Formats: sequence, structure tokens, C-alpha cells
Amino acid sequence: MLPVSAASSLAARSLQFQPEVERVRSPALEKAGGTPAPGGDFGSVFERMVNDVETRQADASEVTRSVLLGENPNLHQSVLAMQEASLSFSLMVEVRNKVVESYQELMRMPV
Amino acid sequence: MDLLSGISATSGALNAQRTRLDVIAQNIANARTTRGPDGRAYQRRVVSFESELLRSSSPDGRGNSGLSTVRVAGIGTDTSPGQRISDPGHPDADAQGMVTLPNVNLAFEMVDLITASRAYEANLSVAKNSRQMAMKTLEIGR
Repeated sequence: MLPVSAASSLAARSLQFQPEVERVRSPALEKAGGTPAPGGDFGSVFERMVNDVETRQADASEVTRSVLLGENPNLHQSVLAMQEASLSFSLMVEVRNKVVESYQELMRMPV
Repeated sequence: MDLLSGISATSGALNAQRTRLDVIAQNIANARTTRGPDGRAYQRRVVSFESELLRSSSPDGRGNSGLSTVRVAGIGTDTSPGQRISDPGHPDADAQGMVTLPNVNLAFEMVDLITASRAYEANLSVAKNSRQMAMKTLEIGR
């Protein structure tokens, strides 16, 4: 249970961090006359990423299920789908690590 | 988003090679079948492949840069005549006591089997390397 709670506290911290990102970025964008990125703030971008990873994992388990039930003879499709899901999960973890890292960097900044 | 580049082309190739293996298995299994559903000796099947342009995942065609994969065009029949041997006691012998054997040559089939299996392995290597490249790319951030 400890890793789960640790992960959720990390998630909570990064959520608290979001408004700061928004506040820092938006004026600069407006001053430059640019429009905000179509992706929205980091929170929604990350949420879409998590959803995408979840969809991929659901797809992979669906293909694996059909292979195991004998509906689909293509074993490689199941393995490739799992690889893709695992890779997108790694990418998501990498992004989260970067965010947490930069947050900790900011926390260490002397005021 | 296509994380593993070229993986759909590889998937099609793996599928095609697996079909080829299935057909070779059928040929070897029927190497001595003297009576099929049509009452004649089994005839060797051969697979032919054709390239297929991948359907783009995005409407503007940016999803995969015009990659083409492979698919099974069809399974044809080798119509060359089979060997005829004299075996009057055979249930499928004709009036002269001759039996037509299938035109399957086991040595050819084994060569085909090895080729198909190696082609499958080559495509698996592509998939493996594609994944390794992606994992190495993720290591940039570490």
C-alpha cells in the first residue's frame, strides 16, 4: 500500500503545482502575441496522456484475450500491442519524473 | 500517435509469413494424401504476397509516411502433375493399378519452411529493434 499512497501524494503535489505553471506561462504568451497552445494547460495534457495510455493497455488486453480465447490466431498482434502499451506507459512515467524533478528543483530554490 | 515506428508494416509481414507457414504445414501434412474432397490427389498450395499501402491513422496522411505493408494476395495451386506409382492394392489405384501421388516434394517444403521461419524472425528483429530504439530515446531524459 505504501507505493500507492506515495504515488498519490506525488500526484497531489503535481496537481498543486499546476496553477503555478499556468500563471508563469500565460502572461508571457499574451505579451508575445501568441495564442495559448491548443493542448491547454499541463494538467489536461497529462490527463489526455494518461487516458491514451489506459486506452492502449485496454486494447492490448482485449487483443490478448481474443488470442487466448482462440478468436484471433495472430499471437504477434497481442505481443506488439503489449509492447506499445508498455512503451507509452514508460513515456508517461518519464514525463511525470521530469515534472516531479523540476518541482523539487523549485522547492530547493533559496528565497 | 504511432509510438513504435513501422510496427504496422511489421505486423502485416508477420501475419503474411505466418500464413505461409500454415500453408507449408498443410503441404507437408498432405504429402501422401491420394484422395482429396474432389477425389483426386492433393495438389501443393503456394502463397503469393502483394504490397498494401497502410491506411493512414490521421486524415491528412501524417500518421505513417506512406509505408506499405504486405498481405497475402492469394493461395494458388501448383498444377504440375504428381508422381505416378504402381500399387494395385491401393484403394485409390486406377484400372491399371497406378496411384497418383501429390506433387509435394518434401525437400522443397523444408526449404520453404526454413525460409518462412527466417523471414518471420527477421520481422521479429525489426519489432525488437524498433522497441529498443524507442527505449533508448526515452533514456535521453535520464
